[in-house]
Amino acid sequence: MATERLSVRDRSRRLYALLTERPLSLYATAVLRIGYGLLYLGFLLREFPHRDEIWGPGSPWTPELAAELYDQTGWASILALSDSRTYFELCYALAVVVSALFALGWRTRAMSVLFALLVASFHSRSIFMTDGGDNLILLMAFYLVLTACGRRWSLDARRAARHGAAGDGRTTAPTGQLRWARTTLVTVLHNCGLIVIAVQVCFLYGSAGLYKVQGGTWGGGTALHYVLNLDLFRPWPALSQIADEQTVLLAITGYATVLLQVAFPFVLFGRLKYPVLTMLLGMHIGIAVLMGLPLFSGAMIVADLIFLPDRFYLALGHLCRRLARRELRPTSPSKPASPSPEGPPTTALLPQQGGPDGPVKSGLHASSSPSRPPS
Amino acid sequence: MKKTGWVSVPGGIDSLESVESVESAGTTDTEQRPDSAEVRESGPPGVRATSRVLRVGLRTVVFLCLATVLTHAVLVFLHIAPSNAVSQRYSRQINAWVYPLFEQNWRLFAPDPDSVNRQISARTARTAADGTVQVSEWFDLTAVDKAAVEHSPFPSHTAQNELRRAWTSYLELHGGSDESPSARAVMMQKYLRNIAVARTSDHFGKAAPFIQLRVVTVPVTALRPDGTRTAQSPPKNLETRLLPWWKVTSDGN
Repeated sequence: MATERLSVRDRSRRLYALLTERPLSLYATAVLRIGYGLLYLGFLLREFPHRDEIWGPGSPWTPELAAELYDQTGWASILALSDSRTYFELCYALAVVVSALFALGWRTRAMSVLFALLVASFHSRSIFMTDGGDNLILLMAFYLVLTACGRRWSLDARRAARHGAAGDGRTTAPTGQLRWARTTLVTVLHNCGLIVIAVQVCFLYGSAGLYKVQGGTWGGGTALHYVLNLDLFRPWPALSQIADEQTVLLAITGYATVLLQVAFPFVLFGRLKYPVLTMLLGMHIGIAVLMGLPLFSGAMIVADLIFLPDRFYLALGHLCRRLARRELRPTSPSKPASPSPEGPPTTALLPQQGGPDGPVKSGLHASSSPSRPPS
Repeated sequence: MKKTGWVSVPGGIDSLESVESVESAGTTDTEQRPDSAEVRESGPPGVRATSRVLRVGLRTVVFLCLATVLTHAVLVFLHIAPSNAVSQRYSRQINAWVYPLFEQNWRLFAPDPDSVNRQISARTARTAADGTVQVSEWFDLTAVDKAAVEHSPFPSHTAQNELRRAWTSYLELHGGSDESPSARAVMMQKYLRNIAVARTSDHFGKAAPFIQLRVVTVPVTALRPDGTRTAQSPPKNLETRLLPWWKVTSDGN
C-alpha cells in the first residue's frame, strides 16, 4: 500500500488535511451534546427538592466555606456572586433552560459555552458532593465547547436546512478568504476537541483498569462482593444479595471489568471495539441499576458513544425513521410520532456505563495519595 | 504505487496551481482523498491568490492547536497516572495546567473497593434552665441515607455522597486525631458539623448549641478467593470513634 512509502512530509500533509478538511464525527459529537444536555437536565430536575442543600445558600457547605475554597483553588462560580436565595433560584432555572436548549441544539455554540459555565459553577459549588459521573460531565462540557456539536440532529441544523444550506449550517456562499479561514479554524477546533474527548475516555478507562490491577481483591476476583455490600449503593438489596451469592460469576465479571478497561484504548481501531463497547454498555447498565448510579453510568455510556462512526448513526437514524413511518401507517394517525432521528438513539442508549465506583476522592484539593495495595 | 499528485507539486499546498495539477494528475490514491484535501488547503475554491499571511497564520494556528492537544494529553496523563519520576519532577507544571478545571481521578473502586460501611450518628446537648445539661438520644444519620437510597432508581447525591464524602474527606485531612491540622481541615470539620446540625435540627425539631458525632466502622463480611465467607460476627469487629463535642454556630461558619 501507498501509505507505507509516504515520507514524513507526506504524512504530515495528510494529517493536516485530515484536521482541516472537514469536521469528523459530527453525529457522534451531536450525540454527546444531546446525551450530556439531557443527563444534566435530569440531574438538576432530580435534585430539585434538594437544590438548596446541594448548591444553594442553605447548603452545609456554606457560601463562606465555598468562597474560602475558591480563594485557595482558583475556581470561580457564578453562584458565588450572591448569597441571595432569589439569585440562586434564577441560576437554577437558567441551568435547567440552558441544559435543555443545549440538548436541543439551539444556538449551539453559545449554549455550549453557557452550559460549560453553568456546569462548572454548579460542580464547584458542591464539589464535596460530586462523584466520577459529575466529574466526567464537567470535562465533557468543556471539551464540547470546542466541537461543532450542533451541526447534526439539532434545531440549528433544522434551521440551516430550511434556509437551503444543505444542512451544514455554515457553508452558505463562501464570501472570500476570511470566511474560508474561519471555516477552517472551526474545523480544526472541532477535530482537536474530538481528539481530546477520545483521549480523555481512553485515559479514564486505562487508568481505572490499571489502578484495579494493583488491588488484591480484583486480583482475587472478590472485589465485586465488596462493591455489592456498600450500604449506600444497594438500592435493591434483594437484587444485590442474589448477585452477591454468585461467587464464580462475580469473579468472572470482575476480571472482565479489569480486562475491558485496560484493553479499551487498544481495541478502538478495529472491529473489536463493537463487542467491547457492547460489553461496557452491559456493565454500565448493571452499575446503574444495581448500585443506583444512573447519572454516573449515563455519563460513561454517553462518553463511549463518541467511538461509534457516523455511518452507524446514519443507519440508526434511517432505521428509526423507517420504524416510525411503519408505526404511523397502520396504527391510528393520532400518534404524534415525531420521527426526529435524535430522540430514539439517545434514549435507547443512555442508560448504562459506569465504571464501578465512585466518587472523585479529593474534590478540589490536591492532597490524597492513592492507597497502595499490600505488596 | 505512484506518488500522489499533490506531493510533487512545486510550492506544495500553497499555490492554487497545485489544485489544478492535482486534478489533472488525479489518478492516484483515492482512499485518502488527496484532491479535496489539496483544494481546501490551498484556499477557498474559486478564490484566487489566497493571501500568504492568511495561509501562514492559519497553519500556525493549526500547529498551536495540535501542540495544545498534545500538551493537554500528556499533562492529564501524568495527573491521573500513579506518582512516578516524571510526574514528581514536573509536578508544578502539571498542577498549574490541570488545576482546577481538569482535575480528575478514575480510581473507581480501585485499587480495592471499600470493605467497610460507616454508620454515622449524632446527638446534641443543651443546658436547661435549671443549669443541668440535657443530652439527646443518638440519631442515626446514615440510616436515613440508606432509607433514602433503598428502592430509588435514581438516588440523590445528598443521600449517596454528602455525608459519606464529608466523612472520608474529614478522615483524610485529620487522620486519627480530631485536631484540625490545616485550614482545609477546619473547613471540612465545619462542613461535617453543618451537615449533622441540619439533619438533627430537622429530626429533633430545633437546633441545639452543641453536637457530637459517633462513627461506627462495620466491616463487610470478607470473601476469600476460594469462595468462603468469614462467619458473621459483627459485634466483634466494630470500631467506634467518638468525636469531640462541637459548638454550633448560627451561621454555620
